[in-house]
Amino acid sequence: MNTPSTPVKKTPRPLPKANVYMDTSPFWEAAQQRRLVIQRCPKTGRFQFFPRPGSVFSGRRDTVWTEVSGNGTLYSWTVTRSAWPGHEDRTPYICAYVELPEGVRILCNLFNTDGVELSIGMPVKLYWEVLENGTLYPAFQPA
Amino acid sequence: MNKKRDVAIVAYGETKIEFRGGKSAYDLASEVFAQILEKTGLVPEDIDGLAVSETMSETHNPFYSVYMAEMLGITPRWNQVTGLGGCSAIANVARAASAIREGYCETVLVLAADAQSSMRGTAEQGAQRHEFQYPTGLKGPVGVFGLMTQRYRHLYDLKDEALAKLAVTQRNHALLNENACEKLRKPITEADYLTSKYVSDPLRMLDSVMVCDGANGVLVTSTKNAKRLNLKKAIYPTAYSEITSYKSFDFTAEIIDTGFSVVGPEALRKAGMGVKDVRMLQAYDDFLIALMLVMEQVGFCGPGEASEYILSHDFSFSGDLPLNTGGGQISAGQAGLAGGGTNFVEAVRQMFEEGGARQISNPVNAMVTGIGMIPYGRNWGVSNVLILEQ
Repeated sequence: MNTPSTPVKKTPRPLPKANVYMDTSPFWEAAQQRRLVIQRCPKTGRFQFFPRPGSVFSGRRDTVWTEVSGNGTLYSWTVTRSAWPGHEDRTPYICAYVELPEGVRILCNLFNTDGVELSIGMPVKLYWEVLENGTLYPAFQPA
Repeated sequence: MNKKRDVAIVAYGETKIEFRGGKSAYDLASEVFAQILEKTGLVPEDIDGLAVSETMSETHNPFYSVYMAEMLGITPRWNQVTGLGGCSAIANVARAASAIREGYCETVLVLAADAQSSMRGTAEQGAQRHEFQYPTGLKGPVGVFGLMTQRYRHLYDLKDEALAKLAVTQRNHALLNENACEKLRKPITEADYLTSKYVSDPLRMLDSVMVCDGANGVLVTSTKNAKRLNLKKAIYPTAYSEITSYKSFDFTAEIIDTGFSVVGPEALRKAGMGVKDVRMLQAYDDFLIALMLVMEQVGFCGPGEASEYILSHDFSFSGDLPLNTGGGQISAGQAGLAGGGTNFVEAVRQMFEEGGARQISNPVNAMVTGIGMIPYGRNWGVSNVLILEQ
């Protein structure tokens, strides 16, 4: 009955699941064109990230997806040595908070760096990582 | 709850903390319940209120607290389940006190039990994490505290020897605590801390908790009822303060500025105390850096001064500010989401003068803190402070 020789299946790297907790399709459609869009509250002019169903500033459900440059600064980073499930074959990899001039921070991976040159406040720019299923996922690299 | 002594904590119970012990949250909770009944001489029908903490192991059950009542054989007239992570235990003391004052019930079992290390993978936080966190591979709390530690090091002078001192002090306490996880009851030196491997640089293995199983709880009742039942021990929750999603609409708030800068001073003010009056600090410790932030933001020292403060004070049970005298979660093991009650029941134990080899002299009061939930791009979701007085 049991098949002891069945190999243990590796957990695959988690892929983004769009439109589960709200409609995030504008974000992913823009990402496929290598454009970063984030929500702007028209009443206050302020930006928010991650996406929410309504504006955290006004409570109104009228936020507007707005393209931004993706040029930011490094706010903090950590070298991940003990992986989140599905990322085991990537270690060590860098997770970071990047701050955008629009007044939000993005949790992301950093590419094209060995980690040694990093310093808080240094300029970074967008890097679009191609995931296994072809999805373009926003990451950053030294500018 | 403003400096009142009309509601009391009259008993506590705690299981041993075990790594993959194999017992369910219900089984562990039953052990705490039996201890409390034995210590007080009460029977299950004397208890008419139940407040439980959410778990990692049973959270898929939307009726967890109702099942718990059925499992233990109690008939609550007021039943509460609280999902504030490591804040739930002391939050439930405050909620129980309110329910007792309102007259919904008279005697509340405040219970936290979790079998996270044995029954894993049943809780899923979902929401934005599937799109904006999991694909990056951020290693949950370890990753977030790595980011916070990096930020702290950038802003201030973080002395590794201060973290090493906290690690060793707490480990020495765990050696004296029979309920601490056996895997962790081995002496460590400051050198062990300083050579401990990185898990999410600059966070080290010995900065971090190990997820285990365990349960703890207290009995809360009106002071009047405690006298009627002829209960011998009583301490009083005299001040409480809580905040969720601190600075929720400020996306560029400093990530090492936490809700404790609000709830720490507020709880002390409600208790009519200053930091110098705090006899012991039983502070939520998922990572050592959290203790530094709590010390600074509650007001034991100024911003960026925690390293110097730690190096110039003695946090052992016989020191000037006893800290996490059961070993804390870092050296006693994190009893899943029941871990928020570990340092809390240690405070109660000390104030009942049942601390044995690690008893604090003159345990007139305690500050107990909680930290709950890891949000996006911030520090933690919930901060709370409970002041207990004899």
